Amino acid sequence: MSSNLLLPEETSSQTLSRRLMAIAGTVILVATYITLISTQPMGIVEGLGQGVALGTFAAYLVAAILLLLAVLPDLPVPTLTLIPVALVLNIILGQFVGSVMIPLYIDSIGTVIVGFLAGRRAGAATGVLSTLVWSLFAPTVLPFAAGAALVGFLAGTAARFGAVRRIFLAPVAGLVAGVLVGVVSSPVATFVYGGTSGVGTGALVAAFSSMGDSLLSAVTKQALISDPGDKAVVFLVAALLVYALPKRLSGSFEFVRRYNVLGKRASK
Amino acid sequence: MSRTINLHPFTILALAVAVVTLTTAASQWWLSCAVIVLCLLIAGWAGHLKKLAVLSGAILLPTFLSLLLIHGLISRDPSPAMAQWGPLRVTAHGLEVALSLGLRTAVLVVVGLLCGLLVDKHQLVAAIDLSPVPPQLGYLLAATLFLLPQMGHKQRQIGEAQALRRVGTRKGITGWFQRVRLRAVPLVLASMQDAQDRAVHLSARGFPAAGVRTRLRTVPDSSVQRGFRWTALAIAVLGPVLILALTRMGSH
Amino acid sequence: MYRKLSAQSTVMLGLNLGSYNYLDSTEVVLHDIQLDVHPGSLTVISGHSGSGKSTLGAILAGLLPRHGMDELVGSIGVGETLIEFSSSSTPRVDVAQWAKHVGLLPQDAGHYLSSIRGTVAEELAFSLENAGVPREQMQQRVTDLAQKLHLQHLLERHPQQLSGGQERFVALAALAMSEPGVLVLDEPLAGLDKRATAVVSEMINLLRANGAALVVLVDSVGVWAREADELWRLNQGTLHRISAEDLLQPGGQTPRRRPVAADAQVLLDMDSVQLAYPGAAGPAVSNLNLQLRAGECLGLAGANGSGKTTVLKAIAGLLKPESGTLALSGVSGLLLQNSSDQLFERTVLREVSFGIPKKSALRHRAPEVLKQLGLETHAQTHPYELPASARRLVALATVLIHEPKILLLDEPTEALDEAGEVVLQEAISSVLDRGGAVVLSTHDERFMERTAHRVHHMP
Repeated sequence: MSSNLLLPEETSSQTLSRRLMAIAGTVILVATYITLISTQPMGIVEGLGQGVALGTFAAYLVAAILLLLAVLPDLPVPTLTLIPVALVLNIILGQFVGSVMIPLYIDSIGTVIVGFLAGRRAGAATGVLSTLVWSLFAPTVLPFAAGAALVGFLAGTAARFGAVRRIFLAPVAGLVAGVLVGVVSSPVATFVYGGTSGVGTGALVAAFSSMGDSLLSAVTKQALISDPGDKAVVFLVAALLVYALPKRLSGSFEFVRRYNVLGKRASK
Repeated sequence: MSRTINLHPFTILALAVAVVTLTTAASQWWLSCAVIVLCLLIAGWAGHLKKLAVLSGAILLPTFLSLLLIHGLISRDPSPAMAQWGPLRVTAHGLEVALSLGLRTAVLVVVGLLCGLLVDKHQLVAAIDLSPVPPQLGYLLAATLFLLPQMGHKQRQIGEAQALRRVGTRKGITGWFQRVRLRAVPLVLASMQDAQDRAVHLSARGFPAAGVRTRLRTVPDSSVQRGFRWTALAIAVLGPVLILALTRMGSH
Repeated sequence: MYRKLSAQSTVMLGLNLGSYNYLDSTEVVLHDIQLDVHPGSLTVISGHSGSGKSTLGAILAGLLPRHGMDELVGSIGVGETLIEFSSSSTPRVDVAQWAKHVGLLPQDAGHYLSSIRGTVAEELAFSLENAGVPREQMQQRVTDLAQKLHLQHLLERHPQQLSGGQERFVALAALAMSEPGVLVLDEPLAGLDKRATAVVSEMINLLRANGAALVVLVDSVGVWAREADELWRLNQGTLHRISAEDLLQPGGQTPRRRPVAADAQVLLDMDSVQLAYPGAAGPAVSNLNLQLRAGECLGLAGANGSGKTTVLKAIAGLLKPESGTLALSGVSGLLLQNSSDQLFERTVLREVSFGIPKKSALRHRAPEVLKQLGLETHAQTHPYELPASARRLVALATVLIHEPKILLLDEPTEALDEAGEVVLQEAISSVLDRGGAVVLSTHDERFMERTAHRVHHMP
């Protein structure tokens, strides 16, 4: 009748299979990216064009899902209850700004908040999940899951190294994150879809293309124009929101305590 | 008026994946159009036609325009131009490329959205819970889907309460910022506090399940459907390879 | 860390607490508490909001102290196992196992529900699903439990569409599914109307009849006194026994209600008003005639959905009448039911002063208003770190600071404890005394009786 009321001592968090999954996911992602960049397959509609499209789509999506499955069992329950809130905030706050006609896609604000509070693994998981949920309304976002995971991962990394302790550091970290994400996601837009999904961004790509750039570099340049600014704003707003939390709430996250993420900015 | 399909959610998804990959690999405009029309018909039968049309249109219209801009107007291939104004150069080939890419995306969007409309969310979550993936995945999907209307409602309530405070009426960037702060911060605070309060009770009820887990809800399945799913997935992977190999050989 | 107790012990749950601190806080929330729970007993612990009741409840249920965060010095005996806590080591408790012995129903019952299941039946089965119980067994246990606790009619309902009382009902049933020996209930009857109170009380009696020991945490002992085996008061962080004599205190004094002068100015005049929400099928309120004079407190009574909140919103100007006339003299201030949700500033003082230009005279009123509501010690605290009762009062302060002529209150007693209610009544009196008027919508009939001059029943 007397069952053990105590949990056993913490064992090493990742089992072998999960570690392998994480490695596999990363390898697939990196290998696909390098292959695309170095071979720069021509002809997006004829010949192997559709093969490249399918391959890129599959690789990016599978990599993201492997990373997600590798990370999920590690997340403690308070982080698990936080993630749906972050996912819904992505949707609600993203819509809200959209309604004010500002051409920003701050649909990753929840992901960044999770990265700041719960670390990079949780941030990455949130990014992938955010994409999966969005895909129910817009299936085209699926291959961008890896990019979304990267946003969360970088947010967690930035927080760990003190970018959230000073208000002006957060947008700088966002800028860097935007550059990296733009670069990683450009091959997806190029080889899977042959372009972008919006008229404004499409015009930019067309402009670069008319100046003689290949499609990949045109898309990359467009991404480097819009993504860093967008992510800088997202990181800044996320930092402000995290500052507004009571210490009892932000302090309850082990990641925040261990790496002193908020420094002196935590509300008393 | 909407009818539901009584298939296992994974069956529908496997079928969708196979259709999308095969259609994309084949890259024949008549096949893509046929698939889209078929999807619209199924949506009509299920009573979701208007939703499917509206949602697809909202995504595809900007995409088509963008592709037109990139490929249709600024085409750099050497074929003779149909029209030319300065840097703009319209060629038949360019338009063909734009249309072809657009159609490819359209198939993905229409099939994907149809899946989303046909699959019952509760059944999908139950199917995920009963599969070998970690229990956290089903939880996160369900929690997000259920939370969305709730938080939307809360956002409206907060909006009302803040409207009573007669603030945020200033014009310009400061007024806008104040309004955003007034709407966003309470939502974030309240929902995150809520998340923290829930966590401990979820743990007390045994979540996440450490070992075997079961569901009260039944997800009807059959060995026929299982076989179908595996076949569909195999086709989804091998089919394109075959088609592309054949196309390659055919063009040599 | 833990050891087995002797087999003769009849105590199901024994708490021996030296001190308890929350994370990063030197303030000792609880100290020197010894509590033994015997099988089948009813222990009632009363204490006002902020006294540490919920903390004590969570400790009993093994949810606190959180490993690596809070600090408990003492020991807890659950059944035959004794677990020791000290300042140097907090053992990692398996809350799921603990819940099989001691279960906690939180003050907000919605927090207990999983929010990921589509029917109440699945919600009840949630803990069984996580344990991997076979489907037929789960089906049987859900049916049996529903029958025993009279909730068959709710089994197919969506958990998120339940009323507050039904939510509590379902959460309690879900808690009982694991058949813990001890149930800790945190304010189980707070905020419920008469019917819901009866239903929840009946379930509690059924559970008790089934042999569970109950520990009930309340604001004031009230009806529990009759059947309690042990009565305690939690004050200043520790438990004091209450005797029956302590309970024979005179009832709260009814504040003297000044009669309304016959020639008092009419502040609000509603004539044949019809109100409807945009996009709604029909009007929410039809043909409403209402008059309000200075110095008068009007109560609005009626079932849920009868339009009380709609009327308040119309008076506040949030909703324009479709037909009829609404004449208002003076500024109104509305306290909505979920007003605690609108708080967002970092300190109470900033919250109350929000929106008031720095040079305005109203700014200086902020500390006064805080003092009037007993919140002056919390001026620099984050509103979310306050207990629910204080937070509600902060929301009230944000309304009172504008000195409204007509004060509109939607379910103001919700979340308020006894002391908070007294503060509220004084605030209402002060509004009436300076020539204003109050419209009050509440299902708390006792409060309505003591506060309102007259009551308007919504059809």
